[in-house]
Amino acid sequence: MGIAKPVLSLSKGSTHPTNDHVFPEYAKGTPSMNTKQWSLALAALLLSGALQAAESGTALKSDDIRTEPFRDAKSVAKLATGDKVDILKKDGGWYQVKSAKGKGWVRMLSIRKGDARKGGSDTGGLLALSSGRAGTGKVVATTGIRGLNEEELKAAKFDEAELKRAESYATNKSAAAKFAAAGKLAARPFDYLPAPK
Amino acid sequence: MTHKTLWILALALFSGNALAANPFEQELFKAIKQGVQEKVTGKSATSVEEETAIGRQIAGNLLGAAPLVKDAKLQKYVNNVGRWVADQSERPDLVWHFGVIESNDVNAFAAPGGYIFVTKGLYKLLQSEAELAGVLAHEVGHVIRQHHLKILQQSKLLDLGSQAIAKNVGGGNDKVQGLIGSGAEIVSRSLDKDAEFEADRIAVVLATRAGYDAFGLPAVLQQIGHFAKDDGDVALLFKTHPHPDDRLGKLGTAMDDRFDGVKGKTLEKRLYRVK
Repeated sequence: MGIAKPVLSLSKGSTHPTNDHVFPEYAKGTPSMNTKQWSLALAALLLSGALQAAESGTALKSDDIRTEPFRDAKSVAKLATGDKVDILKKDGGWYQVKSAKGKGWVRMLSIRKGDARKGGSDTGGLLALSSGRAGTGKVVATTGIRGLNEEELKAAKFDEAELKRAESYATNKSAAAKFAAAGKLAARPFDYLPAPK
Repeated sequence: MTHKTLWILALALFSGNALAANPFEQELFKAIKQGVQEKVTGKSATSVEEETAIGRQIAGNLLGAAPLVKDAKLQKYVNNVGRWVADQSERPDLVWHFGVIESNDVNAFAAPGGYIFVTKGLYKLLQSEAELAGVLAHEVGHVIRQHHLKILQQSKLLDLGSQAIAKNVGGGNDKVQGLIGSGAEIVSRSLDKDAEFEADRIAVVLATRAGYDAFGLPAVLQQIGHFAKDDGDVALLFKTHPHPDDRLGKLGTAMDDRFDGVKGKTLEKRLYRVK
């Protein structure tokens, strides 16, 4: 990756800041960069590196890794449920992934982002293991203290003024069609999906 | 039970009352008859006017708990996206309303008649207009298949049944209980899991019909799957919906290869960003 080289250069610059006069050729090589500037450059590189870094994912079910994002493309390898992947790119309904088994394209819906769901079933309970959004793994009560909980919704009082305001923003068919056209959205037929058996 | 048995049951139980009939009993008979009709025909006997009135009440209550985000451009924008998506459904003639409400919760709500709200917490997770379209289309799916209305119709029948019992025992003549229960409680009730999966399947189709990339909703589900179950912001969503992973799994099976080669717009740049 592109990050490796500057990091190496910086480690020279920052761990041996006084070497400039000892190795003048090195200093000459980077005439406009002092240690502080290098640090800034490093920070920027690390930051962009972090943003570009592949997102991790987990296979939700077994599926083929293919050479191209098409169903007919050649299969490179087969992912098993729970296999870890790095998500590199997205194209329509496909992710380009890298895994221990190989690199290629997998259907987006066969992958979940992040690590496998912890705690097994989705039946939940009052206690649930943190699946690591904060990375602490601590156990806390899940009662929906913040935000819209059932009690709040139950106690809610009708707000006529707010409702009228909401209704005032309604659009109509022709305005919505104009809005769609501005985004080059064209309506097209597509059948509803049957429920999977 | 067969069609015939239900009718006989209903008539046997209530024919006498229906003939005599104070307003309450007439109302009761009407409700029972409607309930039986729905069971028999599978169709809603609630008129569009009634449906909209019920939805309006629920929407007003919900806004009482969480008002609109004060950003007219944002509200106009979601109405344009939502209406364009809803117009691809079999109910383009409803007066559809969409809104973003002040809450850090990650959730979206639908009420009968076409009132749909997304929380600011969910809106902020969105990366493209196609994702917004997918989320709104899921709620449109609930409205067009009348998922919430069906719950209300069932509970209406039950409420009226219990009223009748109370009446016979106590002899009181209480008003028929409010149809929608307390406040906006109905929006926090869990629908049948199958109703959620159905709304997901409808969502990807409506988004596609509207010209969007079909994978907007799946992308949002993947994002939400990141949240810990104990995160207060998703507590209600996780309580009332199947886990996003399960929804993705079911949606993947249903979509299969049907969307291969179907390109759509994502419109990242047009997504209106909230502060």
